[in-house]
Amino acid sequence: MSDIGFKGIFQNALLAVLSVALIFITWKLFVVISGYPPYIIAPPEVAIAHIWNNWAEMAPLLRATLYETVVGYVLGSAFGFAIAVLMAQFRAVQRVVYPGLIISQSIPIVAIAAPLALLFGFGMAPKLIVIGLIVFFPVAINVLDGLSSVDRDVLNLARVLGASPWRIFTKVKLPACLGPLFTGLKIGASYAVTGAVIGEWTASSTKGLGTYLLTSKASLNTAAVYGDTLLLTAIGVGSFVFMLVLGIIVTPWQWSATAPKWLQPKIRPTGKED
Amino acid sequence: MTSATPPKLQIRGVGKRFDNVEALTPVSLDVQANEFVCIVGASGCGKSTLFNIVSGLLAPSEGSVLLDGKEIVNRPGQVGYMLQKDLLLPWRTALQNIVLGPALRGTLTQADYDRAAALATRYGLGSFLHAYPHALSGGMRQRVALMRTLTAGNDTLLLDEPFGALDYQTRVAMQSWLLDVWREMQRTIVFVTHDVDESIFLADRVVIMTPRPGRIHSVLPIDLPRPRMPAVLSDPAFMAAKRTIMEVLHPAPETTGSEAAAHV
Repeated sequence: MSDIGFKGIFQNALLAVLSVALIFITWKLFVVISGYPPYIIAPPEVAIAHIWNNWAEMAPLLRATLYETVVGYVLGSAFGFAIAVLMAQFRAVQRVVYPGLIISQSIPIVAIAAPLALLFGFGMAPKLIVIGLIVFFPVAINVLDGLSSVDRDVLNLARVLGASPWRIFTKVKLPACLGPLFTGLKIGASYAVTGAVIGEWTASSTKGLGTYLLTSKASLNTAAVYGDTLLLTAIGVGSFVFMLVLGIIVTPWQWSATAPKWLQPKIRPTGKED
Repeated sequence: MTSATPPKLQIRGVGKRFDNVEALTPVSLDVQANEFVCIVGASGCGKSTLFNIVSGLLAPSEGSVLLDGKEIVNRPGQVGYMLQKDLLLPWRTALQNIVLGPALRGTLTQADYDRAAALATRYGLGSFLHAYPHALSGGMRQRVALMRTLTAGNDTLLLDEPFGALDYQTRVAMQSWLLDVWREMQRTIVFVTHDVDESIFLADRVVIMTPRPGRIHSVLPIDLPRPRMPAVLSDPAFMAAKRTIMEVLHPAPETTGSEAAAHV
């Protein structure tokens, strides 16, 4: 729990921007040095130009894929959180469910997508299930870890202070697993878009960035393939950064020595109490 | 504190066996209201087991514990309890940790915050009210932990080696501070330590416990005047008490090496 403060956060953000710039430069350099023709590989400026020039066509696709990603992500994370809480509170549930969790992650997603499409048709449902299946696991595992690693003495202290099991859960266990929860949420956020693409490829009648990728590839539209991939990556990175920032806001004690103003309880001067 | 008043806390024949091992032979102890009792003993003498029973966390194998004449066995929340580990919640500020008791019981009001802030300010934490625990020194953290125990609303406090993890200077300062708080706030304190100096400096009576199996060997009244200053450590009466306790804890011929060294 290092006290890095605002300055540290700003420096980290700056480094992240530099890192992105480095990726684009490497990409551009590779295109130039390799000498591959434009129908094999597109340089960054061509990919960006494609998005710019075809925005009217791509914006609804982006919206569709973003929508699936967000809904699947939220549902998957909520499910992962709920199952972790149940497992932490009831040992029996943990013993029964835990092997199932591992098995669920061992089934190749592409393989399970086909039967899901047969079961639920080609609407939203199978896509959301594919995304949820990918997202819930890191959330569940991290939250379970966080909930089970709460210090026994802290729980005893809470009991001695007269806390009910419900308040021990809401006031001690839940805040204690916020850190691990956001670790899981961040991992899930970067995976969710992959789930959306797989969902669109295997179980979709509606259009999105995933289906666009397939048709672009089929028509050897390299600029479109790269532009599309860029947008998909932006969704993944955007979701990750969103959760990162949210995590920072929600856990101020991890980077600040004092509570931010809006979290400080108000204090009246003494003498007016009771 | 005359013996005519009924005891605040009565420990009556409380014993504990884990499987077939006797951790604590039945012990009895009466503590008067506003009394400061210290329990000293080597590791394994059952003092923590006794505390866990009195606090209501652990069921005794036999005996009963009465607070103001009422049975409190298996009923956590009746007495305040503080450990060597400060157990501050890292996501709560100093002030929020102090009011943890009311917060966990769902009775937290503005008045609790006001009182806690006044308490913290009076005892030197005024500019750290909104600091998170990781930004506080070890001594400050223990003070917050003690204020949390005070604010929990129990007039009887069990303190289990609360200063054991602090460096010598801080520990001495905290002992004087605790005596100030005790005098001003009128609480009954049972304080476990394995530091003999600490027990004599703080206590009205020192309860000496010995291990294998854990039991109370004797109870030694400390007739040193109050308020006590650190200079009392060189008082002849202090030295005499220390000698008495040391002779019980470390009988001359068979001084057990490692444990003896730890208490110096």
